[in-house]
Amino acid sequence: MNDKIQSSQSRTQNYVDHSLIPPCQAACPLHMDIREYVDLVAQGRIMEALQVIRSGNPFPSICAYVCTHPCEEVCRRQQVDKPIAIRALKRFAVEFGGDRMIHAEAKTTHPEKVAIVGSGPAGLACAYYLRKLGYTVTIFEAHSELGGMLRVGIPQYRLPREVLDTEVQRLTQMGVEIRTNARVVSLDLLFDLGYKAIFITIGAHQSLKIGIEGEDSPGVIDGATFLREINLGLKPSLGQRVAVVGGGNVAIDAARTAARLGAKKVTILYRRSRDEMPADPTEVKLALEEGIDVKFLVAPTNIKREKGKLRVTCVRMELAEPDASGRRRPEPVKGSEFDEKYDSLIAAIGQAPHTPSEFGVSMGKGSTIQVDPVTLTTNRIGVFAGGDAVTGPATVTEALAAGRLAASRIDDYLQHRYPMAGKEGETLSGDLSAETIEMIKKVGRIEPPILPPEARKGFKPEEQVYDWETAINEARRCLRCGMGAEILSQDKCATCLTCLRVCPYHVPRIDTSGTIQIPVEQCLACGICIAECPAKAIVLRKPYDRRSISDELEHVLKSATESKLKPFIIGFCCQYGLFGTGTLASLWRQAKAGVWIVPVLCVAKVEAEHMFRSFEAGAEGVFIAGCGEQCARENTAARVRQRVKKVRGALEQIGIEPVRLHAFATDAGVDPAKELDKFVEQISGLYLASIIMQEVKR
Amino acid sequence: MIVAEQKPLEEIRRMISPYQRVLIVGCGTCMTVCDAGGEREVAFLNNALRLAQVKSGDNHTFSQYVLKRQCDPEFVEMLKDKASEVDAILSLGCGIGVQAIAEYYPDMPVLPGVNTSFMGMAKEGGVWDERCAACGECRLEETGGICPITRCTKGILNGPCAGTKNGKCEANKDMDCAWVLIYKRLERLQQLDKMRRYYPPRNFLAIPRPKRIVSKATINTGENNG
Repeated sequence: MNDKIQSSQSRTQNYVDHSLIPPCQAACPLHMDIREYVDLVAQGRIMEALQVIRSGNPFPSICAYVCTHPCEEVCRRQQVDKPIAIRALKRFAVEFGGDRMIHAEAKTTHPEKVAIVGSGPAGLACAYYLRKLGYTVTIFEAHSELGGMLRVGIPQYRLPREVLDTEVQRLTQMGVEIRTNARVVSLDLLFDLGYKAIFITIGAHQSLKIGIEGEDSPGVIDGATFLREINLGLKPSLGQRVAVVGGGNVAIDAARTAARLGAKKVTILYRRSRDEMPADPTEVKLALEEGIDVKFLVAPTNIKREKGKLRVTCVRMELAEPDASGRRRPEPVKGSEFDEKYDSLIAAIGQAPHTPSEFGVSMGKGSTIQVDPVTLTTNRIGVFAGGDAVTGPATVTEALAAGRLAASRIDDYLQHRYPMAGKEGETLSGDLSAETIEMIKKVGRIEPPILPPEARKGFKPEEQVYDWETAINEARRCLRCGMGAEILSQDKCATCLTCLRVCPYHVPRIDTSGTIQIPVEQCLACGICIAECPAKAIVLRKPYDRRSISDELEHVLKSATESKLKPFIIGFCCQYGLFGTGTLASLWRQAKAGVWIVPVLCVAKVEAEHMFRSFEAGAEGVFIAGCGEQCARENTAARVRQRVKKVRGALEQIGIEPVRLHAFATDAGVDPAKELDKFVEQISGLYLASIIMQEVKR
Repeated sequence: MIVAEQKPLEEIRRMISPYQRVLIVGCGTCMTVCDAGGEREVAFLNNALRLAQVKSGDNHTFSQYVLKRQCDPEFVEMLKDKASEVDAILSLGCGIGVQAIAEYYPDMPVLPGVNTSFMGMAKEGGVWDERCAACGECRLEETGGICPITRCTKGILNGPCAGTKNGKCEANKDMDCAWVLIYKRLERLQQLDKMRRYYPPRNFLAIPRPKRIVSKATINTGENNG
């Protein structure tokens, strides 16, 4: 892990990374560097994208399926059209980046042993990070298999069990000891066994009662138990007509699972309206597509078992003033009672932790374990807690974050360090202006393909992965929030207004003191002003490439001059989108002898200096290939053409044929490979002619 | 603002040919704004000259520096160390900058890298128009804010002449006749009576060159303007 940190530091050493934290990253419980990996996907650098994902998330493949993506809720792209499909892009990176090949390793460097009680996402994450830190870790799991709610709560069609198994297997590879079917009854016993610290992460598996008469009748089952039985391989018989009470994700999962088990008619009874429903709207939509009926503003008041069937008395509700949770409080409508007949009823109105009193940890509201929010310590020394057991039912990602935090807190505790609160960077805030939004190319969100409702019968995963091109096009929609242009020093700025005039989004403004301001919340980091500023006073808050174009060029020139292949041609190619997806690769592959590609993130950033430098290093030809009208942002071709024209003028005066510098865009009807062939042919001709001239002179 | 354009590369190469070590000096004010001699243009020229000598086999060494402003001795002094290491300075400042550097470094050949063209304004990004001739005797009040000395090809004070046609100048049919512009503007301002006045010829004897403006009590730099 240390090696990884060091290498990432050396990578960024050339730049000052003072970009602001984008809203997506701020909203993510794991604070994943989403902007970075989305950008890498947009370039087709999937393995690197996965590397970025892996550096912040121990189980990316799990999140790729089930993350509730709070990042997408705050994505600023929705101010333009729709948010970036971040979770689906993560799924793409995991599937295509070779996540299955990653082999986790860890060495024991600390003598202390840590026990983890519970193997849900928080427990697994904590085990992963503690093991990475070099501790001996044992996971105790009451069920027969690891995973907690990932295993017994989430239906298989949402999270394939192979995915979970692969991640669990990785923990075993790392040397985490696993004890299944091992319910911990006493923490003292664990301390006696030599564990120096204990992390309690037993989740919230206890279903809440509706609190009505007849709730304990046969045929009534609670949501958590129902899902657990299914997921552990049991097949509870439900009958034909099933009612599900509740409006959360568990209710939807239970209803869809019941339908998959063969129930003819599944009805969800929810006491509020669709707007108040806490379940993921996408899941609700899928459930409706599958023919599940949702009765809004209906609550059961009584259950009676009659002749093997359930007679459920329901009452209609209406919404009154908002309650403490901010949702409108439902109130029964007098005299609106009606009876419905069901074969079984699943009560999924919420869950709470069930912590054995023998643990001796102090508890708070809703049977949750009380912990210090910074140190995650309970009232018992050496006992930490996290996940749903502390927060009540929450998301997988929140649990992972809790597990990760717990690992570092337990490390602090065992190493006798004072736990330091993490330093947080500045988060980007503010909306896009109407003027900027107007100038942004509207490219709607592309949802990952989902099996049609009729094909969603069994427990196969329903969501498909993006194909390569779709993923890249979706990733290119990212607005790169918070890494926009910044005036390096106002002193250097000549206030020439060039930035203001060239910006495709009308972002730079003159403030009342006559100074140029580039509002960071508006800038989309296209880099055009940077390449145009006559004082070179503007920089991007974050380097737009891991290596600057100049560094990349020098790197390529070094290999190129060593190879002595002729004619020697340098090509600056946009790495986003089309070129990223394959054309760049095909240019590489088909490249005639001596064609060297310098990948750039948008050709608008290629400056005259780069063209001159290529010729100076001996290039016989230089070409610039951009995506033209296919550019996700603005048509940059005009800017490039202008620069090329100017450099060509200089070349002519120097005595170099201007045709040796060529720019083309892959607009409709232009085949980049053919265009390149034509250029190579031309340069080869010039090269041959020059050889002949030399011979003649001799 | 002073507007200039970079000299052709060929001319610059001819100028620098006797000197082995050349310092290219940019200017951070007007020359930056008019794209003739800011940091970017200095780098452009440096790169182009380097490439040219790869082709020609010359052996110059080029260095570069951008002053905030070339027309003040305090800024020009900042070149001291760099100037001691070169054989000539190629200034991308306006004519004033070139002379300011030459004055400060009497033993150093200072070469102009730009053609200083006029005083003007940006019409839009990348387009500049001449507006002022620095005649020292401003009469814009009488001409509706439009300068006949600069914008009339003949610079006449009692126009228009007979060469005006459809609002354009006989010298160039794409160019507006300054006096038609003046007429229309005065009309808008309801000051057409100003067109009836006769303006006597300017007295060039009364405005000798070079001019000097003094806004302090005592002058340290001598009586004349040298």
